[in-house]
Amino acid sequence: MRPGPLTDPAFPPTNAAPRQQYRLAHGKYWSIAREHAWMVVPPVAFLGVFLLLPLARVVFSSFAQPTWTLGNYAKVFDESFYLRSFWYTIEVAFCVTVVCLVIAYPLAYAIANSRGRSQKLMSVLVLLPLWTSVVIRSYAWLILFQRQGPVNSILLALGWIDEPLKILQTSTAVEIGMVHILLPFMILPLVSAMLKVDRTLLRAARVLGARPVKVFTRIYIRLTLPGITAGCALVFITSLGFFITPSLLGGAQQTMAAMMIEQAVSVFLNWPLASALSTVLLAMTVSLYLIYAKLTGGEIGMALK
Amino acid sequence: MSDVKGFAELRFDGVAKRYGEIVALHPTHLVIQPGEFFALLGPSGSGKTTLLGMAAGFVSPTEGRILVNGQDITRMPPERRNIGMVFQNYSLFPFLTVAANVAFPLEMRKHPKAEIVPRVRQMLAMVRLEHLADRLPAELSGGQQQRVALARAAVYNPSVLLMDEPLGALDKNLREEMQDEIKRFHAQFGATVIYVTHDQHEAAFMADRIAILNHGRIEQAGPQSELYERPNNAFVAGFLGEANLLHVTAYAAGEAGSRSVATQEGLRLVVSGTVQTGRMVCIRPANITLSPAPLSYANTFAGKVVDLVHAADSIRYRVQLNDQCQISVRVTSRRADARFEKGQEVYAQWEPEDVLLMEN
Amino acid sequence: MSGRPIIASTQGFERDVTRWILRGYTVLAFTFLLLPIAIIVLMSFSNQRYMGFPPPGWTLHWYEAVREQPRWLTATINSFCIGIPTALLAIVFGTLAALGIARGDVRFRKFLLLLMMAPMMLPHVIIAIGLYPTLVDMRLQDSYIAVIIGHTVIGVPLVFITVTASLRSYPASLDLAARTLGAGTWQAFRRVTLPMIWVGIVSGGLLAFATSFDELMLALFLTSPGTETLPRLIWDQLSFALSPTLAAVATLILVLSVLLQGFAVYLGARRSALKRAQP
Repeated sequence: MRPGPLTDPAFPPTNAAPRQQYRLAHGKYWSIAREHAWMVVPPVAFLGVFLLLPLARVVFSSFAQPTWTLGNYAKVFDESFYLRSFWYTIEVAFCVTVVCLVIAYPLAYAIANSRGRSQKLMSVLVLLPLWTSVVIRSYAWLILFQRQGPVNSILLALGWIDEPLKILQTSTAVEIGMVHILLPFMILPLVSAMLKVDRTLLRAARVLGARPVKVFTRIYIRLTLPGITAGCALVFITSLGFFITPSLLGGAQQTMAAMMIEQAVSVFLNWPLASALSTVLLAMTVSLYLIYAKLTGGEIGMALK
Repeated sequence: MSDVKGFAELRFDGVAKRYGEIVALHPTHLVIQPGEFFALLGPSGSGKTTLLGMAAGFVSPTEGRILVNGQDITRMPPERRNIGMVFQNYSLFPFLTVAANVAFPLEMRKHPKAEIVPRVRQMLAMVRLEHLADRLPAELSGGQQQRVALARAAVYNPSVLLMDEPLGALDKNLREEMQDEIKRFHAQFGATVIYVTHDQHEAAFMADRIAILNHGRIEQAGPQSELYERPNNAFVAGFLGEANLLHVTAYAAGEAGSRSVATQEGLRLVVSGTVQTGRMVCIRPANITLSPAPLSYANTFAGKVVDLVHAADSIRYRVQLNDQCQISVRVTSRRADARFEKGQEVYAQWEPEDVLLMEN
Repeated sequence: MSGRPIIASTQGFERDVTRWILRGYTVLAFTFLLLPIAIIVLMSFSNQRYMGFPPPGWTLHWYEAVREQPRWLTATINSFCIGIPTALLAIVFGTLAALGIARGDVRFRKFLLLLMMAPMMLPHVIIAIGLYPTLVDMRLQDSYIAVIIGHTVIGVPLVFITVTASLRSYPASLDLAARTLGAGTWQAFRRVTLPMIWVGIVSGGLLAFATSFDELMLALFLTSPGTETLPRLIWDQLSFALSPTLAAVATLILVLSVLLQGFAVYLGARRSALKRAQP
């Protein structure tokens, strides 16, 4: 035998058995993959206690407080204020989603088709607003929309209006603010989908006789559809839960779902009612997500990265 | 609506492409006859794809013109050129069925629906895929997808059919099957075809004429036999088939009206009288005969076998003739032929007609 | 033939017009996107009492005001005291979840994935409504821990996503190889897995911190006057007066966020550059 680590007395053979697999009790085989599977226990336990339990509690309280009753839901569906607010929330979410899509699509196209440094620069500029809090961005619109704020000043200077517009406390203000905040969430999935478009398909379409406009409408938009649906789903579902922007920029008429729930607690101290409202909102959110998953078989979160 | 009709003569009139300092294609003149199957052959970066791109309309030449049946199409956008194209990765629209893919160009040309349906069926029948008309491309195999691409490219009777290494993504057996398929298609359909490939065997098998490109220039164009038997230069000689290349140093007249050349590698070769001058000499390994004792060839050299490699149906020997010269000899493996071993002394010999003189 | 966008493949004049329209639009769109933020930053230097625009003069007065008011300082400290533990907890839970799901054979994989992503998908108000009573039952209300727990819940998905991406970026056989070579679980993790995924861990952690730092909804429910965070304070102040002090605070937070997230982006870019350098 040649000298070396195997025979050198300074390196005695270890008796660590090959650790791939060995038998445990119950006839189950231990393996590395099994071992890793146990790692999910702590996070699942944490989220189970601090996410699932609270959610269950919300749903439960809506039926069970102050006694077993459907009274809370009766309140929700009878009083037009709550119904109107839910409907308003859906309206706003829809409106904001459409506007975001229209604004974001050409911008995403420009970003996806730019090269190197300008593409990097534009990506950073799109992400920049995300690094400011929603409070601050909504606050900025508050300033912009004031009576003596920049928007009115410019409009007056241009002569388009005779006296300052009341923009705040209207639906328009809320929607503009929300579009501004949610725009990056529409841009990013669109860019991601556009980057994945196979260029030779566009060439093939041209050779086959399609003019550039036709290539765009018949082929390109179709190919970016996954990005469109992901972006729309993301923006719509996120809009449903908005609180800060409508609170700051809207008036009493512009109460959205999350504001209702917060009001129910802070003003009316009516936790059961808040639970009922939350359950409705939860049901809306979850069902929309299920619809999206069914349609595409995809995960929105992954699309964002 | 097509602007160009019929199976066309394609003429490249001095086309060139420059990207700043880099020349992708030097000024090139080429005429492709109507109905011809023409191959552009060459290594990566040789300019063959650039030339094809110009024909398609994706690359605009920095100089020169492109004419189809005499009509100048240089400035015409791709969708008006009535050209068919098959891409390497098939480029079938993934969200349309096979039939919808094939129907697409007809829709773009605003053919009435009543015409489109039978025409699509006819095309799919030609590539034997009518039974898959309602499938999506993802459900088809590579070979099937390529046939759909072929049907789609030809359904609107283009005057020219371009193919950009269409079989590159297929494995060997499938590739040979598809080569047959395309050849058969061409025979049936009759269009002018420009076929880009880097595989000399594919070009030799499929094309009527071949142009060999290197570094943006056409080195030589002609039928396969002409390129093989009368290569212009060392690149062509080496690219199409195998070659032993030697450098000429001097000419001399020999006995009885024959001529001989002396080479840098120390051999004196007898050449046949009809050949002109040249600076390099090429001898095809397939044209060299090996024997244990010299036979009556004009060019006979003694040497030693230093290596041998088996191919499927031949053996390639490396024979050392002298200190500077080692040549390749390819011997087809017929059962009755003699075999040689490493280290064996042999005689390598060939006819004067097999000494090909080239410019460089 | 390299691919080119649709616009580039139209000819001449048509193409130039389209290209310039697109460029103009891009400028407009980015202005819309960035103008409000620029306004805030500018306002923080305005020497006017109220938030008029354009400001007549410049001053650093408001930044000093921020420094002088103890409430701002406390709130900032609170935000850090909450944000850092949040990030750490999110890192622990998120990384464990990512390792378990990516490398382990778990049943109900889809359900687990859903659970991990759920906090990101749900409106924070619902989580707050449910979490507050739960924490009251645990007698944790009005404490730092309450907020930390709440923010960790929404921070875990962020770390989970980045670490999963890191784990996917290299072949799993590397980790297995370490084990067959004799390394134990922790050793293999420390010596092999960690160097490969630390970028994902750190950027996820930074994201979790930034999210916690900016978060308002859960803070509204879970903080008390003693644990008031910066966003909570801003929100309260908004109802009183639109003073440029808020703009100054906002600008400071913006700078901090940009630094943190810029750093995360830089890490990500460095990792892809290293990957590209590999054979």
